Amino acid sequence: MSGFTLGPVGWRPRVPPVRAEQASPAQLAALEACPPAQRRSTYFLTLANDPGSLGERGALFTEVMYAEGGLDRADRELATAVVSMVNGCVYCTSVHAQRFVELTGETALMQRLLAEGLDIPLAPRWRAIVDAAIRLTAAPEAFGPAEIAALRGVGLDDLEILDLIHAIAMFANANRLMQALGQSILPGGARAG
Amino acid sequence: MIDLMEAVLGIAAESPLAALRARRAPARAHAEGAWRELVLPPTPGGLSLPERAALALRVALLEGAAPLAAHYRGLLAEWPAVQAAAECFPAVDDDDRLSLLLRFADLVARAPGRCDQAAIDALTAAGLSTQDIVAATQLIAFVPYQTRLLAGLRALQAAA
Repeated sequence: MSGFTLGPVGWRPRVPPVRAEQASPAQLAALEACPPAQRRSTYFLTLANDPGSLGERGALFTEVMYAEGGLDRADRELATAVVSMVNGCVYCTSVHAQRFVELTGETALMQRLLAEGLDIPLAPRWRAIVDAAIRLTAAPEAFGPAEIAALRGVGLDDLEILDLIHAIAMFANANRLMQALGQSILPGGARAG
Repeated sequence: MIDLMEAVLGIAAESPLAALRARRAPARAHAEGAWRELVLPPTPGGLSLPERAALALRVALLEGAAPLAAHYRGLLAEWPAVQAAAECFPAVDDDDRLSLLLRFADLVARAPGRCDQAAIDALTAAGLSTQDIVAATQLIAFVPYQTRLLAGLRALQAAA
């Protein structure tokens, strides 16, 4: 069973998170660089144990997911949900699948993608984005001009393609952090990848 | 100033790809900053500079990112034994800190879904603090970002 779901999925850390009320000035400063809605989450408080590696990485994450212009935010959420599925991160998949649904209203499409997998029929633009996410995640050495041409062929300009590359790369990072430092918890309390 | 990606790929400062990257200057700057914080921090704390370079080299090798691996190998010139351990496949099955860290890197880089509490507890038992474990995990997880950014930029370069 894949376990992929629109959620809600929980996450239980394997190391103790920083307690917000006891955070050091360096830890608080690093948390400030993270997305505002999530900076008191268990995940970011866990990362705050090493403030030196949270600040720049948190700022990178925020820029990659929320920078103005360029690739549509829904497309970034789709790509990061797909990367999370390829990497088997149930928690990240649910978060970004939910955001995609919030931005597009495409609940049925996302539920089908989660249940049936990445080969379901999709509109050409989304198909190209999903294919790029799979390829760059699973076989980065094989990602080349043909993949860029496929993205240009469905109308993406080079800034949108750069944004897509950033989003896909970011989740090679985010999924590994989540999966190494904690455990996804499915509704009902079952453990998941 | 060129960044690590541009140095590794030979992206010229006046090229269209450099101009494209300049439109996402914060992403470029923060990726460079994250790399420096993780691999070359001014105060490395409980995770030493050679341990950091060894983890980065190991993951670059696992990811098949040869130019990136060459960069990280260069940071280990003064620590040949550490470099040799990082390039040993499979990793040595001992319980010393470096062997444990390298096996943790193998797990997080190649099979993150198989990470479990025992993998973390083994690091704690070897004397790593919570901060060290988070730092090591951040570093191991960042090289896969660099690998895919390099692959994507190289594809754009070739498709120009």
